[in-house]
This record gives sequence, structure tokens and C-alpha cells, in this order.
Amino acid sequence: MMRYIFRSMLAAAMAAGLVGCGGARPALHLFTWADYIEPGLIKEFEQANGCRVVIDTFDSNESMYAKLKAGARGYDIVFPSSYMASVMQKEGLLAPMDHALLPNLAHVDREYLAQLALDKEMKYSVPYMLSNSGIAYRKSKVERFEPSWAMFDRADLAGRMTLMNDMRETMGAALKSLGHSLNTTDEAQIAQARDVVKRWKRNIAKFDSEQYKPGIASAEFLVVHGYSGDLLQVASEEEDVGYAPPKEGTSVACDDLVILAGSGQKALAHAFINFLHDPANAAKNTECVQFLCPNSASYAQLPEEIRSNPAIFLPEELRQKCEVIIDLGQDNAKYVRAWDQIKAD
Amino acid sequence: MRRSRLPLLAGIGVLLFLYLPMVALVAQSFNASRFGGRWMGFSLKWYARLFENRPIWDALWNSLFVALVGTGVSVVLGTLSGWAMHRYRGGLQRVHHSLVYAPLVVPDVLMGISLLLLFVNSGVPLGLGTISLAHITFCISYVAFVVLGRLQEFDDSVLDAARDLGAGWWTTFWRVVLPMLAPGIASGAVLAFTLSIDDFVITFFVAGPGSTTLPVHVYSMIRHGTPTLINALSGLLMAVTFGLVLLGQRFIRQSR
Repeated sequence: MMRYIFRSMLAAAMAAGLVGCGGARPALHLFTWADYIEPGLIKEFEQANGCRVVIDTFDSNESMYAKLKAGARGYDIVFPSSYMASVMQKEGLLAPMDHALLPNLAHVDREYLAQLALDKEMKYSVPYMLSNSGIAYRKSKVERFEPSWAMFDRADLAGRMTLMNDMRETMGAALKSLGHSLNTTDEAQIAQARDVVKRWKRNIAKFDSEQYKPGIASAEFLVVHGYSGDLLQVASEEEDVGYAPPKEGTSVACDDLVILAGSGQKALAHAFINFLHDPANAAKNTECVQFLCPNSASYAQLPEEIRSNPAIFLPEELRQKCEVIIDLGQDNAKYVRAWDQIKAD
Repeated sequence: MRRSRLPLLAGIGVLLFLYLPMVALVAQSFNASRFGGRWMGFSLKWYARLFENRPIWDALWNSLFVALVGTGVSVVLGTLSGWAMHRYRGGLQRVHHSLVYAPLVVPDVLMGISLLLLFVNSGVPLGLGTISLAHITFCISYVAFVVLGRLQEFDDSVLDAARDLGAGWWTTFWRVVLPMLAPGIASGAVLAFTLSIDDFVITFFVAGPGSTTLPVHVYSMIRHGTPTLINALSGLLMAVTFGLVLLGQRFIRQSR
């Protein structure tokens, strides 16, 4: 028995040694979503900097936060969504960005920063990938499609449409259809939006955030509300599927790059962030992930089909109407109440 | 009296409900379509892609390492614990029984977070070592109860017989007790291995840099990875798991 324990301890010590600071080559630890960086770029960075890049993954912002908040150490760069990045910053988990080490930040899309970013000066977080939410539809079966939230009022499609089972996304859609901000805290506007969603609810098959991808791919549903990355992947395979962000505006989400305050490899971490914002590398990642890395200098290097896709590059007029969903703190309760009333209706 | 057909029908219904989704998943893993919606032809490309995907294999090795260490240690400790619960009675054993029983009913999230806090506060670096310790913690209970179940059929008089025939405690243990318990220990080991290899919640919390296991990686892929790749992987894992379960059942049958 002792031998087993001893062996497992030894294995543990070895594992810890391997991933710790021991060894000749320093290791950079990323805590990210799966398949989020072009694999060739990782190798390139490792060779150029004489280091190893170790990637670990998480499945939701909330579980990642719970783990780091409880004190898990050893990670250098994390890829949280921007609302979570601001929570982490308030909790003191992040190290400030040293702009002297990040010359490529000059390429970050200024318009994105000015209009949408939560951390406009990139003090603690640098944007990595942008996505939006919108509507996908079957071209051959949906007559007179228009990129508008009004699609969910179409009685002829009743029972063949889905809206996301996500309080803020779906309430946000209704608020946008009314011309309000999707981060409003005005009770009257929220009540109006609630009634819109109640009206839409009569036409949809269900609220769904998981099955819409196969649902639209198999034509079980004709119109679905979902995230651009997911739906563009379906559209790229299935010619009959189209995707459009609604003209009234929609939500835009960004995953950021942040360096943890407890990181032991701050210089290397800065080098990596700078590397990801090298225009050629940013273009490669955009192409691989099918989201958009907001790096202006990279846009010219993207293939034409991505350049001209209005669902990836939102037209300026539409972009003006889009917003990032922000955490409303105490005011979240107003949305929860409205959402409960919708579900109970 | 005519026998009712109802149990048969209910049985078939339950089996279909349990296994049909798995059949569908394995079938979808051969679907050329990326989203597993419409059937777009038979293809092995997801299996081919799976073999090229390095992070998945790294994660698989981590999972196997943890499962083997976890199973090895928990089988020894669990068997001893089962033996103690069977052999000795008294207040202390009742405490022991409830302590071993607790991990079976404690929610995973609670166990994950509390182990994480323990490791962080005692300065143990997170990694494969901490995942292995966590897995040993919950696997011991399963092994102990499987072995205990086996011991309930154990005839204690063989111990006296062995002693009468001049066997020392070591010979008794090695030549009599262990062979009789072997099927129970083996099925406990199989159970521990399968539990360890699928665990997500506890593992996520106690994993450290460089020790992502397969389930943790798979959950992360669901967000924007390729679901069909996961189907192919689940197909493979299911084949391995079913293989192990069948093996475990054969051990049990042989013992009868």
C-alpha cells in the first residue's frame, strides 16, 4: 500500500515538476476554450521564444471564475468573455497590461474599442475574438426572409422557429426590436420587451440554446436565433442555410485576453498577446475560428469570402446599433422577473 | 394464472430508452455531416480527424494516467476498508462506514470545490497528482461497497479451517481470502476505472496547468468545436467502457 501511495506521490511530484518552472524551457500556460487558436501558430511561438505553450480548457466563464477565485494558480493567460474580464478585474485577479511590451496593440480595431469594448483603454484586457447573435434560416423554405426580429411575428412559420433559451439574449432581441438598449434598466421598457417575447412565444416551437445547430442543419426548424460562430459553421456546410444579424441591432460578444495577477511568466505572456495581434497571425486565427479578431491591419489579409460576409464584418450602420451585454448587478432581478413571467405565460 | 406481458414490455421500453441514444450517437459518428443533422453519407473522416488532434490525445493520456493510478490505489484501500467493515463491529466501524459512504452521496460540485480549497490552502500544486488524489477519494467508496457486498456471501468458517490446517495470517490472506474476493475486487476496480475516466465536475476543479483530462476537454469543445468529433470519441470510449464492463461481468460470473 505504501508503495502505491509513494508511487502516486512520485508521479504527482513529477507532473508538478514538469509543468512548474523546472526544466530549461519556460512554459506559458493558457486557460482557454477548446480549438480557439490555430495550432500552427502555437508551434511557431514556441520555436521563436524557446518555450512551451501548455493549453488547458474550460467550458464556461462561470466555472473558470469559480476555480480561479478559489485560488487555483499556475495559469498565465486566460480567455474570458469581456463581461467576465471586468468582474475578474474588479476582484483583483488580473495584472495590468504593459503597453510598452505590446506594440501590436496599435492594430486593434479603434472603432470596436470606442463603440463596444468594456475596457476601452485595454488596461487589463485585450480583445481576441468577436461574435454576434442573429437569425439563421432555410433559404428554400422561408419566403420573404428579412434580417429583422420581426421574423418571429410571422404566423406562417409558427412552430418551426426557435429563440435562445437565454434571458439576456432573448430579452435583448425584444428590446432591440423596440429600439431600446439591451442593457436598459428602465422597468417600462423591460415590461414592453416582455410583452413582445410573450407574443413571439406563440409562434416559436421552443426556447433553445443547445439544439438549434442540428435543428437548422436538418431543417427541423426553419428559423433559429443563435450565435454567429455556430450558425456560420452550419451555413458554410449547408448551402440552403443563411445567417443574418437583424437590422434593428443585436448583441455582440467578445472574448478577451487577460494576464493573471499570479502569473509567473508575465514577459512571455505579453509576448504571446503581442504575437496574437500580429496582423498575419490575427488573420490566420480569424480564418480558423470563424469569429473575428478585431485587428484592423489583419482585415486586408483575410480571404474575400470572410471580408465580404456582413455577418462577420457588421456594416457600420448596423454596428452602431449593436451592444455588448453587460452584467447589471442588482438590476438583473428586473430581467429575471420578466423572464419568469414569460416562462409562466 | 396467465403471466402478464407488462414486465416484458416495460423492460424492452426501458432498454430502448437507455440504449437508443447511444446507438444514435455511434451512428452519427459515421455521418459525413459536421452537425449530425441530415445523413450526408457514411464517412470515417471524424475518426481520422480525431487521430490527428493532438490536444485530445494529450487529454486522453492524462485521463488514463489518472484512472490507472486512481484505480490502483483505491482498489487496495477500498478492499481493506470493505474488509474492516465486514470483520469488525463497533462504534468506530459505524463511523468508518458513514465516512466511506459519504462520498457516494455528496454532490460532485461540493466535493470538487472543497478539495480545491484544501489543496490551495495547503500549498499542494494542482496537476495530475491532485486529480489522482481526488479520484482515489471517491473511488475508494465504490470499491469498498462492492467488496463489502461480496463479503456478505463470504463464509467466515473457511478462515478457521485455514488456521486449523496450519496457515499463518499471511498465507490465509494470500491463498484463501484474496482468491475468494478476487471477483469482487475486480468488479470494484472496473467500476472505479470507469468512474474515474468520465469524471468531469471534480476533475475540473482540482486540475492544474497542463493536466486537462478528456472529459474536461470535451466539455470545452461543445462550445464551438466540432460536435461530430465528440461523437466519434464517444463511440470509441463507449466501446472501451462496454468492453471493460463485459470483462467485469465475466469475473463475477466465473466466481459463481
